Amino acid sequence: MGLLVLSYLGSFLVGGRTVRGAGLPSGVEYVALGFVLGPQALDLVGGDMLASFEPVVQVALGWLAFAVGLDFAYAGDRRARVGSIALATFSVLLTGTAVAAVTWVAVRRLHVGTTPLEQILLAGGIGVACSETTRHAVRWVLERHTARGPLAERLNEIANTEDLLPLLAVAVLFALAPATQVPTRTPLLDWPAVTVGLGLLLGAGAALLVRSELKLDETWAILFGVSLIAIGTTARLGLSTLTASFFAGLAVSMLSRHGKELRAMVAPTERPVLLPALLLAGAHLDFHAAPKLLWIAALAIATRFVAKVVFGWVLAATSKSARKAGSLVGLSLMSSGALAISIGLAFALRFPGVVGDTVLVVAALSATVGEFVGPVRLRNALQRAGEIDTAVPAAQKAPA
Amino acid sequence: MSGAPSAEHRGFVAHAKHLLLLGAFGGLLYYVTRAVPEVHGGLWTIAAIGFLLLAGTLTSELLAPLGLPHLTGYLLAGIASGPYVLRLVDEHTVKNLSPVNTLALSLIALTGGAELDLAAMRRASRGLAWSMLVQCVLVLVLVTAVFFAARPLIPFARSLPMGPLFGVALLWGALAVTRSPSATLGILSQTRASGPLATFTLAFVMVSDVVVVVLLASVFAIVRPLIDPAASFSLDSFVTLGHDLFGSVALGTTLGLVIAAYLRLVNRQMLVVLLVLGFGASTILDYLQFDSLLTFMVAGFIVRNMSKQGHKLIKYIEQTGTVVYVVFFATAGADLDVPLLRQLWPVALLLAGSRGIITFAGGRLSGHLADDPPTLRRWAWSGLVSQAGLALGLSGLVAREFPGIGTSFRALAIATVAVNEMVGPVLFKLALDRSGETSPVRAPSFPTVPPPVPEGSTVD
Repeated sequence: MGLLVLSYLGSFLVGGRTVRGAGLPSGVEYVALGFVLGPQALDLVGGDMLASFEPVVQVALGWLAFAVGLDFAYAGDRRARVGSIALATFSVLLTGTAVAAVTWVAVRRLHVGTTPLEQILLAGGIGVACSETTRHAVRWVLERHTARGPLAERLNEIANTEDLLPLLAVAVLFALAPATQVPTRTPLLDWPAVTVGLGLLLGAGAALLVRSELKLDETWAILFGVSLIAIGTTARLGLSTLTASFFAGLAVSMLSRHGKELRAMVAPTERPVLLPALLLAGAHLDFHAAPKLLWIAALAIATRFVAKVVFGWVLAATSKSARKAGSLVGLSLMSSGALAISIGLAFALRFPGVVGDTVLVVAALSATVGEFVGPVRLRNALQRAGEIDTAVPAAQKAPA
Repeated sequence: MSGAPSAEHRGFVAHAKHLLLLGAFGGLLYYVTRAVPEVHGGLWTIAAIGFLLLAGTLTSELLAPLGLPHLTGYLLAGIASGPYVLRLVDEHTVKNLSPVNTLALSLIALTGGAELDLAAMRRASRGLAWSMLVQCVLVLVLVTAVFFAARPLIPFARSLPMGPLFGVALLWGALAVTRSPSATLGILSQTRASGPLATFTLAFVMVSDVVVVVLLASVFAIVRPLIDPAASFSLDSFVTLGHDLFGSVALGTTLGLVIAAYLRLVNRQMLVVLLVLGFGASTILDYLQFDSLLTFMVAGFIVRNMSKQGHKLIKYIEQTGTVVYVVFFATAGADLDVPLLRQLWPVALLLAGSRGIITFAGGRLSGHLADDPPTLRRWAWSGLVSQAGLALGLSGLVAREFPGIGTSFRALAIATVAVNEMVGPVLFKLALDRSGETSPVRAPSFPTVPPPVPEGSTVD
């Protein structure tokens, strides 16, 4: 009931034709609220209750990933350019690898995690959770300031195409500790392949079904049905729900001739689902999950900061408008949010204890820091690039 | 030869494609359930809901050319996926799906109430009153007699002495008076039918919910000393019944006024509001031991007849409801005890058949007495054959109240309701089609309608 009421309040406050509205773009305030209500603070949402919410969390995470997959590589109605996809891939690889490497060294030195496998999962999970930029934050700034121009477009496209690699990496990391007894020859290859394949197959099936002239409610039934099958099946197999659902959404978007309509249909459902998921993520936060956890988080976030600055230099080298934005343009992409916290939560559910809880805490802290840095730097960069009209106050401008 | 394929050919190809994909999805789940043991209880329920949704939707589409209602498709999909056939959905998962049933029932009752127009009911009141009287009396008396006569075929009734036998037969007769609001709403929602038959059936089925509750309380009071010699005649159950009925009506009225005010003043996020109502209000009603079906029906009725927001409410529920209905009926199918039906089918068929014939006769008689229009005289009985959740719930109540015969009685009730659940909707849809009340306008198809409903926009 509480989740439904929150979903109602959240969608009421934040909902709208645009992502603008009350609330922060990353939604970290809901994570904070969840933490306050959760077992580590007021204990109004206890540990047992959290465990009973797991199916709800899995559905929320899966549906969000499905929506992200459906919208992948689209900035609004336009497809992202190949250059943006390449830059986004580079950004994710650079940030994710750097954060994972530094975390790996840190966990070894600080003796966090009892086995090498735990340490790999920890470093990998934190690297993945810190690698992406939330598309909501970028859209939020662009819409709020009605920014127009090549840099705004490029950054928006990058933020919309950064989700693929982190979700693939989640599938690989989950395969490191298979949850089922089904024998495979090379689990590290087979399980990720099964995850992606399952998502693609289910998505392709849904795309084929919605090609027929079905009634609107039947189309909803098919999308929900396929998404829930992907979530339930991957959960049973111990695979990444996020990855399979993302690829199901991607397959639907790529193979259906009604991709645009489907994206428009699903988009308004994202926020009402997101907010309870963020609240539950907050309730799962445990800052005492691992020794020196805050040190690990600080190191990971600092590395993300540096990696984003470096990526900004690469961006500046390829784009005139990015050069105009200054040497810290990369920090425009510091915001992380829904997907990063979803990855953290997925880790917390799959690897409860040191690994999962640490990844979730770092994801939440990274999103919080990103909230302070990303939107401000993005606005600054766009102003420098001359893509925000500073003469007209933002409040007087019509929404995009 | 023209290069463009005909509509018939396109339809055939689409159906073949749906069948193939349904098989593929089913095959995937079949493999997973067999190859990987379930270690994480609740999570498979998610996949089960997904499959029931998908299978129900596709099966109903596949059966549509045969003129069968969607509801039959949902039920068949549920039976096939359920614990007794493919076991894609096991007993535990079916039990886990009970919150979906709660939500569906509340939405069904809310829609049912909101569809009841006071003015139309006043116009049809004479016919309704006659029908209610004739159907209740005739079905109660004659079905009791049939049960009595058929006792040699009913294992647990064979050895009963005369007094208890009469009591059990009377209970069976009372059970036979129940109808299925969910099946009626399901068919009306699919066919978008409007006309005297649709209005009559809906009003009858909704009002009969209250009548049945009162009737059953009376029958319980009569049969208790017959079945259990240690018990004496008592009117205690009427006190509980009064509390139940008045409380439900009072709460339903308040709820209806609140919903109407919300629709008028806020009119946003109704999807979430309906979920809150379905889950939250049902939990409170359960705690208060009020009749949730009656409460939601009254709430819908108030919104429809004491405000101008009824059409908005119906439209919002239609947007939400279909998905919930598919899962609800498919779960009902999965819950159907196929082995039991296989065992008891001859006697279940006899009892269901005789009830059908009596309902038909009652329809003809009441139509004549009330001087109903020809459509009603001919088809009014057709919507009264379906039985589902209410009958099963009452049989559970009988099982609890009379443990001596309870289990066997419930088993026979499940088998008989299964027959009525499968046959009733088909008959009602056939009647709506034949009487010309099925809407010729197809529901909006994707993507011919503008898909997104912007937040904060109104539906009209």
